[in-house]
Amino acid sequence: MCGINGIFAYHGAANPVDRSEIIRTRDHMAARGPDGAGVWLSEDHRIGFGHRRLAIIDLTDGGAQPMENADGSLVITFNGEIYNYRELRHDLEKKGHVFRSSSDTEVLLHLYAARGEAMVDDLRGMFAFAIWDNEARSLFLARDPYGIKPLYVANDGWTFRFASQVKALLSGSKVSRDPEPAGVVGFHLWGSVPEPFTLYRDIRALPAGHIQLVDAAGPRKPEPYANIAQVFADGAARRVPKDEIHAKVRVAASESVAAHLLADVEVGVFLSAGVDSGALLGLMRDAGQNKVRAITLAFEEFRGTAEDEAPIASEIAGLYGAEHMVRVVGEAEFRADLPEILTAMDQPSIDGINTWFVAKAAREVGLKVSLSGLGGDEILAGYPSFRDIPRWVSLFGIPGAIPGLGVAARALMQAAGVAANNSKAASLLEFGGSYPGAYLLRRGLLLPHELRGVLDPDSVRLGLRRLKPLARLRETIDSTPSCAASKVAALESANYMRNQLLRDADWAGMAHSLEIRTPLVDFDLLKALSPVTPGLTPGAGKRALAAAPSTPLPASIVDRPKTGFGVPTGHWTAAASAATAASKGAASRAWAREVFGHFGRAGPLGLAAPAALAVVAE
Amino acid sequence: MTQVLALVTDAYGGRGGIAQAARDLIGALAAMETVAAIDVLPRHAAEALIGLPPRVHQRPPSQGRFGYATRALAAAGAHPGLVFCNHLYMAPLALLAARRAKAKCVIQLHGIEIWQEPTRAQREALERAHLIFCVSRDTRARALTHCDLAPERVLVLNNTVDPRFTPDNRGAARAKFGLGEEFALLIVGRIDQRERYKGHDRVIAALPGLRHPEGRRVVFLIAGDGNDRDRLQAEASAAGVAERVRFLGQVPVADLPDLYRAADLFVLPSTGEGFGIVFLEAMASGTPALGLAAGGAPDALGDGALGTMVGDARMLPDALQAAISAPRPDAAMLSAATVSRFGPLAFRESVAAALNLIGPHRSRRI
Repeated sequence: MCGINGIFAYHGAANPVDRSEIIRTRDHMAARGPDGAGVWLSEDHRIGFGHRRLAIIDLTDGGAQPMENADGSLVITFNGEIYNYRELRHDLEKKGHVFRSSSDTEVLLHLYAARGEAMVDDLRGMFAFAIWDNEARSLFLARDPYGIKPLYVANDGWTFRFASQVKALLSGSKVSRDPEPAGVVGFHLWGSVPEPFTLYRDIRALPAGHIQLVDAAGPRKPEPYANIAQVFADGAARRVPKDEIHAKVRVAASESVAAHLLADVEVGVFLSAGVDSGALLGLMRDAGQNKVRAITLAFEEFRGTAEDEAPIASEIAGLYGAEHMVRVVGEAEFRADLPEILTAMDQPSIDGINTWFVAKAAREVGLKVSLSGLGGDEILAGYPSFRDIPRWVSLFGIPGAIPGLGVAARALMQAAGVAANNSKAASLLEFGGSYPGAYLLRRGLLLPHELRGVLDPDSVRLGLRRLKPLARLRETIDSTPSCAASKVAALESANYMRNQLLRDADWAGMAHSLEIRTPLVDFDLLKALSPVTPGLTPGAGKRALAAAPSTPLPASIVDRPKTGFGVPTGHWTAAASAATAASKGAASRAWAREVFGHFGRAGPLGLAAPAALAVVAE
Repeated sequence: MTQVLALVTDAYGGRGGIAQAARDLIGALAAMETVAAIDVLPRHAAEALIGLPPRVHQRPPSQGRFGYATRALAAAGAHPGLVFCNHLYMAPLALLAARRAKAKCVIQLHGIEIWQEPTRAQREALERAHLIFCVSRDTRARALTHCDLAPERVLVLNNTVDPRFTPDNRGAARAKFGLGEEFALLIVGRIDQRERYKGHDRVIAALPGLRHPEGRRVVFLIAGDGNDRDRLQAEASAAGVAERVRFLGQVPVADLPDLYRAADLFVLPSTGEGFGIVFLEAMASGTPALGLAAGGAPDALGDGALGTMVGDARMLPDALQAAISAPRPDAAMLSAATVSRFGPLAFRESVAAALNLIGPHRSRRI
């Protein structure tokens, strides 16, 4: 983990960089990096970086940041892990580069010197970094292909600022809090804020897989260098035969897990009763890690029921000889932690509670790094959406293409009271006929026509015009992978996973100074497995992953219905939002309003409730 | 080499800030080696054409909107590489002309014209333009609020200050305006009923309470004329400061540098400035300036590093009293600091860097 930030007074009329602002922004991220803090300013005070360090590789001061190269012509502030840094270093040394530390950070400086912007093509890992090139007088920013590490930028026309967190940028007190209706609308549609938007007009995410250059003329348009959908499309064009799937998954997953164990501190694992985390544990053992501590969340409410994951997780831990640690959480602890949770939440999210507690548990036992099975459902077609979305598209594709029919059908069903409590069912004809529309139905918290019940009309109108939800979804499958599973996988990876799961893993892990690593969210793994995805029938991907460790997971675990981390949090959040929730969807919507209300309230971290953010009574 | 077509409200021979901003930008373009010639089409009648840089040709103004549009589109037929437009209300026409010429389109925004949501045609023109120059960060923020724009295409190009504004001989300047021992507050701008946001009233209201520490009489010089003068005079009388408020009427452009030099404090407590070029003129002339942290004024005041920035209008009397009590800053240093941020050199560099963003915009004819 780590927290990075910086300020570049690029415009000639802008005031020089204020060191105290760098420090305010940096220290808002103290939990991201409790092991060290640094600040760097150029001699002319036009550019400055901040860094909070969570020391994981090269624990000495040799890894301290911001880091300059030997002649001071390049400076970097970096958050993340470069899993192939040793290979890169080896290649650079052969070309004459001389290293002063054993950190991965220094490798980035040398790689930039050798390759310039093209360096990003060589990196394997999760990263967000900024490099100041003093000769070119330009700032270079980059973010990993999946967007595991966050990077937010703010440009007011004079000064460019960046940080790992939206709230950190705000805490510097120089960035406008004027609302961004596209972010507000996006949160209500999805339950998380879709990048590049945030709740604030002047703060945007540097999109996943993008680089950006800033010089005297200001920031250039972010440029993509890696595209998830394109990899799925390429993979679909060279799909592997069914009988090779297990071997492919075994090789790719083993290799990714081994790469993700690189650290100078202990690496643990989040263990549920599911296949993904169980297989990770098995592969950790295969990679040679003899001592593994595995953390499982259990809930008081589920004790003794089939939903309690602890017994099965315990069985898996036993199978692989891991030290198993079960952390029991109850509603009382949730209520006690809630203020801290909402403070740590960087942008509003309807999820992440489960990650909060499992990260808390990991930190309690002294872990700094833990692997997570996040991403298995996306790359191995584990979600119900892989079944539902193609089915809807084939059912509603033709009638849905008739102009106006879908809207009319919804209006009719609602008028007749058929769909009073199920707006999504009423909208199947309207949205179900295309992949983006069906995806919105599957993942949406609210549908566009429902927004006016929650937000003021101007926010809805401006927000939808800017967000263009369906067009934006279409872009994420722009390279049109030819097969259904690859299309859904691309949609899930570039939307739900990127904007919800990975953001939650970041803020909830960060709050406990815990680095969450995701071997199943890895661009190299994706390239290896994208030819596998098209051939995956329901359950096949998980069976292949279960068979990947040298000691495979038993069938009893593979065939068990999915529960996943954190089921009772739905009840807690519904209770905390003081709403009577008739259904799971209604509970999510009530919780969303609670969370959004928190962001809209004035407060040291909150939003000074501008009129456009006002939530209209239901 | 690029041919530029400039569709402007007015430029050379025009009066006021918008014409000045157009001249400054056209001048900066003309100074670029990559620009071959600039064809200026003004919308409005102008006074005598003076100060045209080489390679700039300004045509006579057009009669009526239709006539202007016809001429603009005809001019686009000559395939300029860049179409520049200095006002939002002509932006749709500029976009059309740029499309006809397959040229890059650059639009300049000043301030209050973008405070309201623009018309659909104007918004779409902005959204399709290649670059938008905003006179201040505030104007930029408002454009981004109303339109779906890539933030990277919306740049701040602040006003620049004419080299005529220098500190020079202050004693002579004070004598010229009949100033003796008085401490002179100065405001420069139209006195228009529609522009009451400029804040003449606020200064008049504060005047009775202001005291100079050495007992100098505090007077308020109002340069500029307009239909709100009688009301302001009545307000000054009502406040009992009629003899301390001096209406100078419209001051000739040539006398402005001396007027700024003569003043002790320039004050414009306006809530509606797109930028406030008069702040720059005062400070470049060596006179400290004071304004509100509203609209574009913080840009001109350098966020408080150049001039005094007052958080809100209620704090104005105290801020004025503090400014009156403070020693006068070093005129040469204030002037140099202002020019280094907003002088012609900085302005030309900004224009060149910005145009670099949209790449080579070659004319097809050359």
